[in-house]
Amino acid sequence: MANLKLLDIKKSYGKTEVVHGVDLEVLDGEFCVLVGPSGCGKSTLLRMIAGLEAITAGSILIDDVEVNNISAAKRGLAMVFQSYALYPHMTVRQNLAFGLENLKLDKADIDQRIIKAANQLRMEDYLKRKPGQLSGGQRQRVAIGRAIVREPSIYLFDEPLSNLDAELRVATRVELKALHARLGNTMVYVTHDQIEAMTMADKIVVMHDGIIEQTGTPLDLYNKPANLFVAGFIGSPKMNFLDCSSLPESVKKLAPKGAFTFGVRPEHLSIKEDNSLPLKVKNVEQLGSDSYLYGDTIDNQVLSIKLNNQTDIKSGQSINVGLDESDMHWFDSNGISL
Amino acid sequence: MTAVIEFFTRRQGKKKLSLVDWVSYGFLFLGFLIIFLPVLWLIMNSVKSQFLLQKYDTNFLPLDYERVARATAYGPEGKEIMIIKDLPTWALFWKDLNKDERAEKDLDNLLSNYSGNEYYALRTHFELVSGAAKELIIERNLPEWLIKYPSMFPSAKKEYDPESIVSQLDPEETRLLSEYLGLKPYKPNGFTSQILISMMDPETSEVVEYSVSRIDPNRDIVNARLISNPQGGIVKLPVNEIILNKSLKPSWINYTDPLTKNVLGSFDAVRCINNSLFVTIVATLITLLINSMAAFALSKYRFNGQIIFFVIILATLMVPASVLIVGIFKMVTMTGLSGSLWGVIIPGAATPTGVFMLRQYMLTIPDELLEAARMDAASEWTIYWRIVFPLALPAIVVLGILSIIWRWNDLILPMIAVSTTKAAYTIQLCLLDFNGEYIAREHYGLAMTVVSLVPTTLVFVFLQKYITTGIASTGIK
Repeated sequence: MANLKLLDIKKSYGKTEVVHGVDLEVLDGEFCVLVGPSGCGKSTLLRMIAGLEAITAGSILIDDVEVNNISAAKRGLAMVFQSYALYPHMTVRQNLAFGLENLKLDKADIDQRIIKAANQLRMEDYLKRKPGQLSGGQRQRVAIGRAIVREPSIYLFDEPLSNLDAELRVATRVELKALHARLGNTMVYVTHDQIEAMTMADKIVVMHDGIIEQTGTPLDLYNKPANLFVAGFIGSPKMNFLDCSSLPESVKKLAPKGAFTFGVRPEHLSIKEDNSLPLKVKNVEQLGSDSYLYGDTIDNQVLSIKLNNQTDIKSGQSINVGLDESDMHWFDSNGISL
Repeated sequence: MTAVIEFFTRRQGKKKLSLVDWVSYGFLFLGFLIIFLPVLWLIMNSVKSQFLLQKYDTNFLPLDYERVARATAYGPEGKEIMIIKDLPTWALFWKDLNKDERAEKDLDNLLSNYSGNEYYALRTHFELVSGAAKELIIERNLPEWLIKYPSMFPSAKKEYDPESIVSQLDPEETRLLSEYLGLKPYKPNGFTSQILISMMDPETSEVVEYSVSRIDPNRDIVNARLISNPQGGIVKLPVNEIILNKSLKPSWINYTDPLTKNVLGSFDAVRCINNSLFVTIVATLITLLINSMAAFALSKYRFNGQIIFFVIILATLMVPASVLIVGIFKMVTMTGLSGSLWGVIIPGAATPTGVFMLRQYMLTIPDELLEAARMDAASEWTIYWRIVFPLALPAIVVLGILSIIWRWNDLILPMIAVSTTKAAYTIQLCLLDFNGEYIAREHYGLAMTVVSLVPTTLVFVFLQKYITTGIASTGIK
């Protein structure tokens, strides 16, 4: 059990700075998800926390103790890698035992921990197999098991679900969440998938180009995105952005002072005969439970709509789109939320 | 075995052998012959007797001629030439036997079958004359100077008169002592082994046996002596009409003698093989350890000058080995390793080829594995020994095989380091040593050459599967 503090962390490779001063506090027992597009520095940040990557400036504190100069081995953390990084020449049991042997634990203790972890992750059946003989999901469990047996203070996950197929990903997501609830440890989880972030996190940290764009609970980020980037990144399908100048008068008059961009989520749009935004439908996707409409506004800006039912609107049809004032987002010329 | 048969009887689907099958098998067989025939030739030659090898025998099989002994006895009646048949091979080649082997043979029993001149000739051949003569001198209380007489200078011999003593003895004793002292009309008797041939008599159509000293394939006639009448002088026989009586006689002593230390002189094949084994095993272990550690550092660590080090190591590949001879010699002598097997082992311990090969292989081991190990609190040594080394095993085994072959076949380094110390000779130096000796011992040389091929062959037979299989799964997608 531990909390984690990052103070003004910077990372440069040569002259290129990739992380520009990150401040973050992860509370004890919190499930914190670092999310952002690829290349935003989230993995680098995680590796710096793990101690696999040296930090250029700033400090990392675990339980208020600075660990900048403590090696990865001694920070007492465990990490689950994207590729799982299981030792291919060792059996599952040996994979689990390797870290414990390095810590010079006695044999009985090692056995006990392995049995416990194998129980928790239901992998007793393949302890004697080698990673090459396991399916993707099983490897994933072993990778998590290898972290669990270490009984670390903080778990670090580096996109652990990205190699799984969609169905297994959803199942493992639930399992990981349950595991967190059971263990109660602090976890830092890196992903580029905002759905993973929304479903699992206690706290989401949205990163972009080496800085933190916004930190908050999933719903905070959804309801009150701090800027254009967060607004566009969180939520699926993406939030619609329109230039304020092109809005019809009825909407424009609601804009706060200095508004430059108008944003509204597809799921907050509805089809109304009598309201403001005329739209020419170009494409219709029927998912059964939901329907997605894509179309152009009068001045050819793209707009998408998510309906919670089936629809008989055809592409090529012109419709009117209605929106509520409470669902509107306004951003200034710098992209900051108003 | 069934798998082997199945493999060699594969064909192109149809029941009958198709043209493609014929061509493929023919091509395979041809390739096999081209590669294997010289080796087979060497093996076959290695079991030929010394006699055959000295005659530059070109037969594929170790076919040896039937042999007879041509003996010459001298006496008051003059010189008698005899052909003695049916002597055992060891008796024919008595001169080539060493002390222990001679002691094993039952000479008395053999000699009891012969009498007269045949007996005298064999007695000389078996080197029994001087012993028996000395015994006679002591037994009969004859003057002691007689014993030294044969080795005296001619001027000293004039002071003595052995004839007067000899004349008092009975004829047998006279012959013995005269042969020992070299008194006329006696002389040391002659004995050579000759080849038994036969030829059909053109008139009687009977097969007649002859003995010849040698058969020169470049000449049309051969000088032969009739077995039934050896005194009848030399007859000239046309080579293309004679019948050679050859039989398969593999000469296993070529192998057993050197391997049981039964060879005179400084040649000790067993010690040489042991030295070579020691050098090969120790040097290979050191090579694998040093090269894999260097490759680990070059492939998995980031440090200043990494590229420079790598380029320098690779650059040494471009220096021809012969250029380094003087440098290595100086290094070996200055460090006091000259004459020691360590002088052979250490200079070749690190090979740029090995470092390069292992580095390239280790680059394919994902860095994430090492990072996972670091998270698992593994020390750098543990990472090397328990993660990188086992995963690089396919490449390491390949390097091991190469190193074993290099070391076993190496001649240059042993020549530089231990050529002055016979006790530290490796097998390759030993084989070279044959050329420098006075006595012709090609038969041992050939046999030991075959023995020296065994380890490298075994290495290929037992380790080649590791090259192909390796560790298939990396566990990483």
